[in-house]
Amino acid sequence: MSLTPILTLETLRQYLYAAIQLEHATIPTYLTTLYSIHPGTNLDAVQVLRVVAVEEMLHMTLSANMLNAVGGKVDLTQPGFVPKFPTYLPNGETDFQVNLERFSPSALATFLQIERPDKPQGSSPRLVRRPSNRSHILPKHQSSEGEDLHFYSIGDFYHAIQLGLEHLCNELGEEQVFSGDRSRQITPEYYYSGGGEINAVYDLATAKTAIRLISEQGEGYEGAILDFENEMSHYYRFDQLVKGRYYRAGDVRENPTGDPVNVNWQASYPIKTNARLSDYPEGSDLYHAAKEYNQIYKDFLASLTVAFDGRPDLFIPAVAGMFKIKEKTLQLIRNPMPGIEGLHAAPTFEVE
Amino acid sequence: MKTQLVQTPFEDFLKLSAYLTDFAEFELRGTGQAELYYSTVSGIVGDGTMHELLEAFSALRQTAQGDQALLEKGMRGAILSDEKLGPIARNLIKLWYIGTWYQLPAAWRERHGMIAEDRTFIPSPSSYVEGLLWPAIGAHPPGAKAPGYGSWTTAPEIPSSPQH
Repeated sequence: MSLTPILTLETLRQYLYAAIQLEHATIPTYLTTLYSIHPGTNLDAVQVLRVVAVEEMLHMTLSANMLNAVGGKVDLTQPGFVPKFPTYLPNGETDFQVNLERFSPSALATFLQIERPDKPQGSSPRLVRRPSNRSHILPKHQSSEGEDLHFYSIGDFYHAIQLGLEHLCNELGEEQVFSGDRSRQITPEYYYSGGGEINAVYDLATAKTAIRLISEQGEGYEGAILDFENEMSHYYRFDQLVKGRYYRAGDVRENPTGDPVNVNWQASYPIKTNARLSDYPEGSDLYHAAKEYNQIYKDFLASLTVAFDGRPDLFIPAVAGMFKIKEKTLQLIRNPMPGIEGLHAAPTFEVE
Repeated sequence: MKTQLVQTPFEDFLKLSAYLTDFAEFELRGTGQAELYYSTVSGIVGDGTMHELLEAFSALRQTAQGDQALLEKGMRGAILSDEKLGPIARNLIKLWYIGTWYQLPAAWRERHGMIAEDRTFIPSPSSYVEGLLWPAIGAHPPGAKAPGYGSWTTAPEIPSSPQH
């Protein structure tokens, strides 16, 4: 079995598309949980969730830059791009599913799974067995015994992309691999703040910079709590909310010793987990609002697609759509489900 | 989880608020201020007076049976022109739109009592941000709900009028 599953440019593009899909898949789930928090409460958690969600948007944009750099096309309007929740992650991790749910220990447990660090183990991404009873957008990899394998973590997935890039640059030459038009890149002038530096990708070095930023912000560098920039990875940011205590320099995994973090699990709207449009009475204001929401989200992805497809100047107005989406999300979440005491509505993200 | 059958005073309060503001109950709940405003106003005027106001509106709706002209006439006559209920109803409109409870008029206070809680104040930090004034004029509240970096370079988006 090859430990570098990416042997062709076409496979590389599939992986990068899956990377965009993967980064995107985390955004509805993080934002739903974030916006379920009662205003003015859980300030530490709000800060953590907001920072992580914004960094995922940066990661998605960096992955889009990579796909454009290797001559691919970034199309967020393809059927299946937005997952149907509950969902597995598009990189093939099959031991947990991701929900749209309220701020709760259960949501945080899933977030820790999403952001779990890869294990340092030399140069090969960690692959584990996966059940083969569902479809994957990535080509299958098989062990020498013929078992289907998938990546253990997002870090392992990006590691495989990096190995693939290196392999293809060796085989075909860097220029052949990075054949994309540089004017399609989302560069800092089109990306305001938002979770770190965006970098244009046009060769192996800039691609590696992008991958390093994504991996360190998400899962940390080789599982370390702080990365080279002394920033804490998503995994440990979330773990602080679970443990009720901040990590500080010198702490080891699972054992933060900093100031206490105040978490009030009760102070969030009890939204229906993985709500669907069919949960809302047809014809009600709520139904119309949830339906309109899905259209707004669909339009938002379409406008991002235009920006990624050669119109980076349209990226800033496209991103402004997120602010409207925020208000619409809050409006839905603050409304109870008609006729069902104790449950609130939520966006359904059914865009097809 | 159980199915709700009885209309609660809070739901009556929402119905009255929707009528007075011309915003849908969905939008009122969407501000996140509905429960707070209900408890704020009840706390100031007292549960008894709140009940009186909600009952008056319920009675008008029953009488009107969906006839909007009749309901409006009743609202103007029996609530807005009522020396006790009128100032409260008008205060409720201001509360929803501007996010501020204004002290009731001197005449009302002389007649119905000087209530300590009845002073001009803003019920919560979100009240200004969630004021109906902003969606009504198609603007975001200055200093809050910013529509995104660089959004000032594109034409403003005028929202549709409140749905019913």
